[in-house]
Amino acid sequence: MIRSTEKGMGMMIRRASAIVLILAMIMPLAGCWSRKELNQLAIAVGAGIDKKGDHYRLSIQVVDPGEVASKNGGANRAAATLFTAEAETVFEAARKMSRVAPRKIYFSHLRMFVIDEILAKEGIGPVLDFLSRDHEFRTDFYIVVTRDSTAEDVLKIMTPLEDIPANKLYFSLESSEKNWSPSLTVTLDELIQDMTLKGKQPVLTGLKITGDKKVGKTKRNIENIETYSKLQYSGLAVFKADKLIGWLNDTQSKGYNYIRGLVQSSVGHVPCENGGGNVVTEIIRTKTDMKGLIQKGQPLIKISVYIEGNVAEVSCSDLDLNKESSIFEIEKRDEESIKGFMLSAIKKTQEDFKVDTFGFGEAIRRTHPAFWKTIKEDWEERYFPELPVHITVDFKIRRLGTVNNSFLKDMEE
Amino acid sequence: MQNKSNISSRQFMILTTFFTIGSAILVVPSGITALARQDAWIAALIGLAIGIGLIWMYILLAKQHPNKSLVEMMAILLGKWLGGAIALLFVASFFLAGPTSSLNILGNFLTIQMMPETPMLSLNLLFAIIVMMGVYLGIEVLARSSELFIPWIALLLTALILFVSFDIKPTNLQPVLEEGFMSLGPAVLSFLSAVFLPNFILLMIFPHVNNESNEAGRALLIGTVMGCILMIIIVLLIILVFGPEYTARSMYPTYELARKISIGDFLQRLEAIVASTWFISLYFRMAIYLFAFSAAIAQIFKLKDYRALILPLGMLLVALSQFIHPNIPAQQQWNVRVWTPYTALTGFIIPLIMLCLSGLRNLRQKNKINEKI
Repeated sequence: MIRSTEKGMGMMIRRASAIVLILAMIMPLAGCWSRKELNQLAIAVGAGIDKKGDHYRLSIQVVDPGEVASKNGGANRAAATLFTAEAETVFEAARKMSRVAPRKIYFSHLRMFVIDEILAKEGIGPVLDFLSRDHEFRTDFYIVVTRDSTAEDVLKIMTPLEDIPANKLYFSLESSEKNWSPSLTVTLDELIQDMTLKGKQPVLTGLKITGDKKVGKTKRNIENIETYSKLQYSGLAVFKADKLIGWLNDTQSKGYNYIRGLVQSSVGHVPCENGGGNVVTEIIRTKTDMKGLIQKGQPLIKISVYIEGNVAEVSCSDLDLNKESSIFEIEKRDEESIKGFMLSAIKKTQEDFKVDTFGFGEAIRRTHPAFWKTIKEDWEERYFPELPVHITVDFKIRRLGTVNNSFLKDMEE
Repeated sequence: MQNKSNISSRQFMILTTFFTIGSAILVVPSGITALARQDAWIAALIGLAIGIGLIWMYILLAKQHPNKSLVEMMAILLGKWLGGAIALLFVASFFLAGPTSSLNILGNFLTIQMMPETPMLSLNLLFAIIVMMGVYLGIEVLARSSELFIPWIALLLTALILFVSFDIKPTNLQPVLEEGFMSLGPAVLSFLSAVFLPNFILLMIFPHVNNESNEAGRALLIGTVMGCILMIIIVLLIILVFGPEYTARSMYPTYELARKISIGDFLQRLEAIVASTWFISLYFRMAIYLFAFSAAIAQIFKLKDYRALILPLGMLLVALSQFIHPNIPAQQQWNVRVWTPYTALTGFIIPLIMLCLSGLRNLRQKNKINEKI
């Protein structure tokens, strides 16, 4: 009897000490040192940077979680809000923002980084260092340059469908790159790599505000079916190292993407043989092969593009699509037209910009590293503007869509 | 040998793999790419070939002294006093260079990438406490827990490799051998010093391995090679995804790689989970170091139990890890200027001398036997 109580006591003590131990363990396991709960953070989705005198003006678009999550429309507030701060450096501006923002800005979920055109002309290098050095930034956000407006204004425009404007910009850039292809998604690591390579200069997609900016900033902008003001991607900004030096228009941008092999899907048209309409082809896959060669001691670039497409729209009345020969005819003219895009992009950069935006120098470095070393220093001044580029386009039309000949062919007039 | 405990050769192999990956998975990709640019993976492959030779040398040494640990071998070959002195010097310097710097690397990584406001001391202390706990429980427990962890590591690393393989750009590897073969020298050396040369210390565990049919040597070789191949895959992948410029500039490109994972916009931001890979591998590297050093000191001073040394060594480790590298550039300089020559001395010259001495000894013994006949 006595023994069993002793045993009971022992059990009691052991159990008690176990509980104390467990409680003691809770303390180190309680979590991170400087944890911040979701309701203490302001999640930045878009960031924009302008230059005002010798100060940087940082604008941050922050999600309003209450507005995004609520099912019944919320309190009629905008889904995102904008904070701005000015300072001599970017990081100081980000920290200075705590004077206006109620919470600490959290950058890990950033989708878009918008750079002002004027700043881009002066050089974006000093801004990008902060983005690559700070631990909160991932490398999966896209970088764009504004055209004819400030970065701050761009982030103020209300957008339809997507409540958060930065998300609109993100998805629309992605889908534009995939389906139309004069624009291009560039992430931080790609941009930095391009800025440091001698034989390849960076490009960024341009972003424009169309329509009435003033209304665009109010909620009125999204109350109508047609919005007053829209955000629209337009052209590619050409850089020399970190300075913006010019723009490629939409056709040239398309040519640029064909040269770099970045086109996933696109649409192109050629006029009918006898005029009076167009044949439109949808490009479904492309493959570009760029080779750097040496011919008689001079560098030479060979680009071969393989494109597969379908006939998507026909407005010619005399085109017989049942004949294989007419398919060949369309293929040939499509090849010419795409080659034209590419050549116009090359011409523009060789004559006006004199910077190697296509990575021709890198192509030569990849195949002839020793030769590249000898011409590296004069590449952009001497070799690039005169560089011969041979382009061959191989366009294959596979399908005609759900009908063969257009009804237009048999239509009585 | 006190506290004779045994682990199977399979367990030894897994421990070796963990030890090899250890801190290298964080430090090597950036360092080797800075030295060899896009050819870093070739340098790593050359390192693998040379490294196999090194491991073979360690195995040969262990074969001539069955059931003897590294410190005991030194005592046999160099005499009680000289051998003891060299062993002590070896242990003391390696303790400063190996585990201390590993713990420093871990603390720096956490404070740079994940918890910038947390004092490094608290992170290192927490980490060191579990390391000490593991070593206190003994090599068998460590070996068994490594067997439990290896499937998770395999899963995480396979996931990492699969998920980022969508972002590969093959042109990042070109041009191959831009600067010629000979320029790869420094990169090969740095790879060897991070992945192969420190494995000499594993000879301290060798006598604990169940070595009935000489399996221990094979386990050491396969374990190291497995760890090394994993490193090569990761280096290759990082260069393929980021290109040499960004990799060399990045502090922890492996972590950046994990950040890059994004499958269909929903499977993303997994970096903290993938980072647990190197927490585990670093844990085993530290635990093996601590076990080896406390066992070595116990053997040098003929102590009954190495366990008494764990707490003081562990506390020293935490304290030293705070100021062994005053800042990041100092650590990077140290990696190049001190760690490489140091490991070349301890991992190549010392074993080579020991091998020669033991060869001479064998010759003399043979002569003696001949004379007697």
